[in-house]
Amino acid sequence: MESNPKVRVNHLTKKFGDLLVLDDISFDIPEGELLCVVGPTGCGKTTFLNSLTKLYDITSGEILVNNEPVNLKKQNLAYIFQENSTMPWLNVEQNVSFGLDIKKVPEKEKKERVEEFLDIVGLTPFRKYYPSQLSSSMLQRVAIARAFATKPELLLMDEPYGQLDIELRFKLEDELVKLWQKTKTTVFFITHNIEEAVYLGQKIMILTNKPTKVKKVLDNPLPRPRDITSPDFIDLRNQVTDLIKWW
Amino acid sequence: MIKSQKEKIQRVLAGLFSIGAFLALWQWAVVSTTLGQLMPGPITVITSFIQAFSVPIGTCTIQQHVGWSLSRVMIAYLVAAVVGIGLGVLMGWNPKIEAIFKPLYDIIRPIPPIAWIPLSIVWFGLGEMTKYFLIFLSAFSNITLNAYEGAKSVDPVLMGASRMLGANRTQTLLTVVLPASMPFIFAGLQVAISTSWATVVAAEMVRSTEGVGWVIVSAQDTNDMNQTLVGILAIGIVGFILATIMRGVETRLCKWNKSE
Repeated sequence: MESNPKVRVNHLTKKFGDLLVLDDISFDIPEGELLCVVGPTGCGKTTFLNSLTKLYDITSGEILVNNEPVNLKKQNLAYIFQENSTMPWLNVEQNVSFGLDIKKVPEKEKKERVEEFLDIVGLTPFRKYYPSQLSSSMLQRVAIARAFATKPELLLMDEPYGQLDIELRFKLEDELVKLWQKTKTTVFFITHNIEEAVYLGQKIMILTNKPTKVKKVLDNPLPRPRDITSPDFIDLRNQVTDLIKWW
Repeated sequence: MIKSQKEKIQRVLAGLFSIGAFLALWQWAVVSTTLGQLMPGPITVITSFIQAFSVPIGTCTIQQHVGWSLSRVMIAYLVAAVVGIGLGVLMGWNPKIEAIFKPLYDIIRPIPPIAWIPLSIVWFGLGEMTKYFLIFLSAFSNITLNAYEGAKSVDPVLMGASRMLGANRTQTLLTVVLPASMPFIFAGLQVAISTSWATVVAAEMVRSTEGVGWVIVSAQDTNDMNQTLVGILAIGIVGFILATIMRGVETRLCKWNKSE
């Protein structure tokens, strides 16, 4: 265990009635780490994330961020959903600014941050567009810019690229790495895509089938930018695949 | 752009054609059938309508009657909009408020406004307050229902996103629930403006000496079918203008709801 982790999860257990979904999970995430979590489909990855963020009440255990229990109003967390979560009545610029408005960031700083993150995700020319006028990948980029603009202590991502085609996914994955390296944000990235986990993760946490436990946490020392065709990449991907197999 | 302008022109022409066809059919029916013994044709009605701008019907010209009715409608409608949007959104957003107010609302909603006339006279007398009350009821019902449905149908992902960004309950209400409900609210406001304008006729049957409702009711007393149709024409034209204005406001405020 880390001495002073960004996130500490102690004996997290979640039941829905008699159904045990998360079974006594414990782990730490050091500050600035990009942790990818993979597990079999239906193993409870989203439940895991929703419990971490208190969107669900946990049955037992504790979740600490900066050594304090999770408090969404006090701690600066951001969450990127699988589904489109942009506000349809706000244009791109207003969507990126949404979290900053909630947090009452001063006007000057807000403008600077909006400009900065619009530029990073390449949406400056589309700043006046409404979500109904954007493609799926652009919508996810708006959500990513909105999340990073709040400079979160912890960014939680729930299969954010799951609905995109492979080319867009690679593009957005590179964008995420760029943003993470620039902002040093702690990122907790859930995916069912093993290649994505190996491509992005500094560490890879592998979950078991239900009731979910942490099977193993692997270090990922591969240099960036990563080459998905390199023997080391393929070797690590195979390791994760073997660990994830439940059949 | 050119295509959309062409479509607009085509729509206007189609509308003008249907109105023209209706007037022609009416004129034919009055001239060629026994209907002419019961009611005047469109030319007579439109001529009387134009004359009514300078020749008073009762104590007022037609534009003054419209002004009276419009002021009654707008006062009651605005109060209904504030109360209805507030109550509807709060009921849709907060289960406790819904549990308290929804059953009472569901009982009041199906009662037609004119059923309240005797009771409203007892409560408010024969003055303006009774008219405001009846129009208020007709508008309130539609506005509240739509605002309620709007707040109920807000995407939970949007609520979760705002909560994850640190929004408190009031911020979520004001920055997510209310704007997300806007298309529903405007649909309710549209229907309510029509029902309010329709109810003004019933409201002005309750002892009044002015207003388009009075124009129709007094014509009924004297069997003046021409005056009845002048009143109906005034109601139709003003209702159309109000609905068009409301659509314009909606297009402006909810432009995000239309994909281009």
